[in-house]
Amino acid sequence: MNEKRTRSGEHAAAPPPLPAARSYRVAIAMLLAALVAVGVLHWVLVKRSASLTEARATRAAMISARAAADIATQLGGEGDALVAALRAWQKEHPAVHALRVANNENRSLEASTFPEDLKNGEIPRRMQRDEKPLYDLGQELRANLETNQSEGRKREEEVSIEQRRDGSLLIAAPIEKEGAVIGFAQVHAAPEVVAVEAPSLWFALAFALAPFVVVFALSFWAAPRGDRSFTWLVVVACVLLFVTLFAYRQWAMSTLEASSRSAEQRIAERVQREAAIVSRIAPGAERHANGWDGDQYRQPLKIDPKAAVAGEKSTVANASYGIGILSLALLLFVGTTAATRAKENLVENRQAYFFVLPAMLGMLVLVFFPFFYGVALSFTSQTIYSVNKPYGDIFVGIQNYKEILTDFGIIRHTDAGRAANYENFYWTLFFTIAWTIANVTIGVVLGLILALALNTKNLRFKGVYRVLLILPWALPNYITALIWKGMFHQQFGVFNQLIQLFGGSPIAWFEKPFTSFCAVVATNGWLSFPFMMVVSLGALQSIPADLYEAARVDGASPWQQFRSITLPSLKPALIPAVILSVVWTFNMFNIIYLVSAGEPAHSTEILITQAYKVAFEQYRYGYAAAYATIIFAILLIYGVFQNRVTRATESIAS
Amino acid sequence: MSGDRKGSAHRDRKPGERSHAPVHAFLILFTIVSVYPVLWVFTVAFSGKQSLAIVNLPPEPRAADRLRAITPWPDEPSPKNFVSVMREQPFGRWVFNSAVVSAATTLVGVVMACTAAYAFSRFKFPGRRTGLMMFLVSQMFPGVLTMIPLYIILVQWLELGSSWIALILMYATTAIPFCVWMLKGYFDTIPKELEESALMDGASTARIFFSIVLPLAKPAVAVTALFSFMTAWNEFILAATFMDKETMYTAPIGLRFFVGGFSQQWGYFAAGAIIVAIPVVVLFLFLQKYLVSGLTAGAVKG
Amino acid sequence: MKKLLLLAVLALPAFAQTEIIVWHAYRGGEKTAFEKVVNQYNASQKAIKVSALAVPYDAFADKITAAVPRGKGPDIFIYAQDRLGGWVTAGNTIEPIDFYLDKKLTDRFIPSTMQAMTYRKTIYGLPLNYKVMTMIYNKALVKTPPKTTGELVKVAKANTNAAGGRFGLVYWYSNWYYHAPLFNGFGGGVFDAAGKPIVNNAGNVKSVDLLMRWSQNDKILPAEPSTALITSLFNEGKAAIVFSGPWFLEEVSPKIQYGLALLPTIDEAGGKPMRPWMTVEGVYIAAPSKHKDQAFEFAKYLTDAAASKVLALEGSQSPANKSIYNDPQVAANGVLKAFRAQVDTAVPMPNVPEMTLMWSPVTTAMNAIVQKASSPKAALDKAQAEIVAGIARLKK
Repeated sequence: MNEKRTRSGEHAAAPPPLPAARSYRVAIAMLLAALVAVGVLHWVLVKRSASLTEARATRAAMISARAAADIATQLGGEGDALVAALRAWQKEHPAVHALRVANNENRSLEASTFPEDLKNGEIPRRMQRDEKPLYDLGQELRANLETNQSEGRKREEEVSIEQRRDGSLLIAAPIEKEGAVIGFAQVHAAPEVVAVEAPSLWFALAFALAPFVVVFALSFWAAPRGDRSFTWLVVVACVLLFVTLFAYRQWAMSTLEASSRSAEQRIAERVQREAAIVSRIAPGAERHANGWDGDQYRQPLKIDPKAAVAGEKSTVANASYGIGILSLALLLFVGTTAATRAKENLVENRQAYFFVLPAMLGMLVLVFFPFFYGVALSFTSQTIYSVNKPYGDIFVGIQNYKEILTDFGIIRHTDAGRAANYENFYWTLFFTIAWTIANVTIGVVLGLILALALNTKNLRFKGVYRVLLILPWALPNYITALIWKGMFHQQFGVFNQLIQLFGGSPIAWFEKPFTSFCAVVATNGWLSFPFMMVVSLGALQSIPADLYEAARVDGASPWQQFRSITLPSLKPALIPAVILSVVWTFNMFNIIYLVSAGEPAHSTEILITQAYKVAFEQYRYGYAAAYATIIFAILLIYGVFQNRVTRATESIAS
Repeated sequence: MSGDRKGSAHRDRKPGERSHAPVHAFLILFTIVSVYPVLWVFTVAFSGKQSLAIVNLPPEPRAADRLRAITPWPDEPSPKNFVSVMREQPFGRWVFNSAVVSAATTLVGVVMACTAAYAFSRFKFPGRRTGLMMFLVSQMFPGVLTMIPLYIILVQWLELGSSWIALILMYATTAIPFCVWMLKGYFDTIPKELEESALMDGASTARIFFSIVLPLAKPAVAVTALFSFMTAWNEFILAATFMDKETMYTAPIGLRFFVGGFSQQWGYFAAGAIIVAIPVVVLFLFLQKYLVSGLTAGAVKG
Repeated sequence: MKKLLLLAVLALPAFAQTEIIVWHAYRGGEKTAFEKVVNQYNASQKAIKVSALAVPYDAFADKITAAVPRGKGPDIFIYAQDRLGGWVTAGNTIEPIDFYLDKKLTDRFIPSTMQAMTYRKTIYGLPLNYKVMTMIYNKALVKTPPKTTGELVKVAKANTNAAGGRFGLVYWYSNWYYHAPLFNGFGGGVFDAAGKPIVNNAGNVKSVDLLMRWSQNDKILPAEPSTALITSLFNEGKAAIVFSGPWFLEEVSPKIQYGLALLPTIDEAGGKPMRPWMTVEGVYIAAPSKHKDQAFEFAKYLTDAAASKVLALEGSQSPANKSIYNDPQVAANGVLKAFRAQVDTAVPMPNVPEMTLMWSPVTTAMNAIVQKASSPKAALDKAQAEIVAGIARLKK
């Protein structure tokens, strides 16, 4: 370690890079950062415009499908007239590859131009076994419509959209008869390209090169001068980076907006054209035309062309902030000496990093991925009803956190008077903290005392005691926790029998928050002291015997010896165990769940059992994830605080 | 340890030495506390019945009746539950599987934790504090809700469904943070002078670690080994979710068959729990001598 | 065409056998009987090989939720209907099967078990077995089982001695699943026909009033009931009458002679019968399965009369196949007969996803009521409000 320190000292004394080279490096960094910034933003824009194009294509195909379904509805969902009308309709739509009408009431295909349907036999006919998915689709649309009708709102999708691998779309819209869904019309269409064009790559390159030219020119000015000019150069580069990014964003967004506006126009024309065709083929069906340009819930999309790109705008704006920060970091990293220093550090400490790497790697994959998954989920309103919705649709920002943290209603006013609301977050937090402190104190104190007792020299039966004392840890806690619960039973529990043996009257342990708390803490204290005892036993061995010898010679009492020798020497091994016990006890799900189950009235729930209930009993995954993230944040604050205290004591010790 | 004991035996037994009686009294009291609920588990296991034991009182209970009622002893002792547990399911096989998984977890966990803890204790490098903190932080996100992402990584992406590697990886990462912190703390107490002189003699880092540091850290290694083993040994929900073959089930899965859903056969569960606890006790008996072997540290130093 | 296909299936086994994987949560006798049926099926034909995996119940639902939608699960799984709606809503888990069904097949089953398999008017599984609660009594203590609640209280009082830990009636009354026969018997329940929660309706309140009368005035019930306590009391001969289901019988000590009878009618509700929940184990085809047709063939085999008879006689289960109750061997079995009789008053437990929202608020309410921390009406009102709010948040 000393060796390391001197080596880094040497490094500090090494001559700094030549001033001239350092300025040119800023120019290179500028080029890199601008290329990255504009490049990534350009890529984002291209992606967005592609998704806009795709959305427009889906809308265009949706118009066809809805029109076809309305024709079928108009014509009663079956019969020769329907077949003829659809044949005529398809002739007008070169983009529609195929079309089918399925009738679930008859379990039949009433009309179809899908080659796979025709191969199975002449149409109309009953559906065959391999056509089950069609029947199921019809049932699903029916059930969804019925659900929406009974709930009086649009929650389930009423149109099914499926994209085939070649990009073509399969869209099915329901056919209704007297208010009930009897089947669907499905259209297989090539995507009608209503392109929303992306800004060109050459412009993007030009945007990236401009600041480089400026900084490059300036670097000739700065190169022969001192540190102050160099600093100015770096500042100018940073400013230029932001200007470039901002300018490019504005320019690109205006291109996107113009392109999108013309696309909207074309969609509107498309609806009118479709209405004209339908009114010719099945007069009357065109009266629904206003709703054809709709979403999957059959709600009309009345998009104001100006607002059409608003969503994209905010996405791109958010992305540009991230890109700005990243590219700035890149600029500073490459432009200053940070990069070389990082590399040197990596080489110098490669052994240490190599040692830590395996453990770290497992941790990153198996702990931090689930962690980020959870945090991402916590910003959504995901419930079991929305598990398959895209992230953007269920994103609610910090709403879950707000809901949890701003509810201060610990006291609830009811008709019967005031009552405590134990399900409130702050009560649960208070209880969790009390639970954690009580348990860790019991565990540590008992564990330590027992370890000290077992560490008595020449004590007989040490081995026997040790084995018997770890039994609570050795047995699966699922059964021992329930044995404890049984011991607290009002009529048949051991504790109340003992109380009665001494003339007391039995206690209903789980009817009052305090006694219930005592019961769970006793159980968990019993379960956790053996671990602390084993840790303490191990840690006690690190104390050299001659320290005590010396203290005894100095006439120190056993208590003084404990205070001045044992406790400080135990610290390095014991403190991690205490910190981790706090973390584990805070999230100790099993014991609460098995012993008190939150009784009475959820007063003995801890945060994790609440989170579990939200996730698994209420199916509110987003909210539960927010709960979990809050638990994490609380523990993180505790960890940082504890670490600071520990570090302070560590430095005093050394 | 043994040498130390022999050497000090005469010296410590002199008349001035305080009596061990209070220590014994204290230890006996706590041994009773620790063993009493365990005895109820034994009572249920040997009762031959499926109900959790309750106190059993006559209509007009006297003190003696109450005393009998709270004494954990089955009315009619019978080994029937143990026989059924072993016969009805391939329980022996599952205990063996658990042993394999837990042993592997212990090995992987302790090796990774030792190397990492040694680096954290002996090298000063940028990111050291952050790294240590990361291990701590990793324990803070509640595990109850991480099942689905774990399933996605291990089964969907890494195709490790129904393989012990998946279980060992999960258990080892669960156990490592404690092991790293425990070992790091213990390594910190080992004087650096020994290693520095060895370094001057031209010994490699690996050699120093294995021949000097590790032997001195035996108690801490024993603690972390026991901890890693226990982490893997009693885990139920991940094992039950990730293993799709009956031949790969572990003992906790076998145990939970008895008490799931409506029906709860506590007699079988208790018998199984005792069978499952035996290897833990055996392991502890084996580790005991390492757990209390560190006193040599003083001897070497002296 | 169809015949050709069939021929192809029959000809295939020489080269390739389709493996159908089934997950279930059976144990003990139920598992042995189930595996016997599987083996019989495997021996009866060569095209399909069924392999069964038992999963502990406590992990089963989570395992299905994690594995099946990701295409890593089985072809068939067997589970009670209470999670059906949730899995259908989550998607890609359970395959709808009404396309496969015809009248002959649906007529095979007791109609209410078919109803349990139906969610949003679509059928998702074939009912295999059902479980209902009934009245179980210790023959040494109760000579003739009570037919009405009036008789019940009389018999129970005669068998109660609280100081000695003896109780006339023991059931997990603070758990609303076990209390449901009274809920439903009084015309209460948890959802109305339109699916709106009704836990604070008059019937439920009256049923809880009756429970409080039993526990406070008649004192025939023990405190803090739980399954563990009930089993212990019954096995010690200290409980005369228990309301519980077939699962309870597995735990009864061989020394206790027990009898089964219909749950009594409720005098306080004008002589209406108690109506317990019925849970139905459905055979579901996993939506991502690649062998759905073969899976359905096995599901049909599993629920036919021959297989059901094995499950009933060797696995002590109550099959949903109604024809087997005419079989002389099954008809001679008092236990099976008693549960079959109870089905006629039973209500299939709702299978909508919102059902899980009920548990916590109603359990809290029941506990508050029996601990006398709250009046029945107030506690159930609070539960109702929580459930309504919960559903609104869930469907946001």
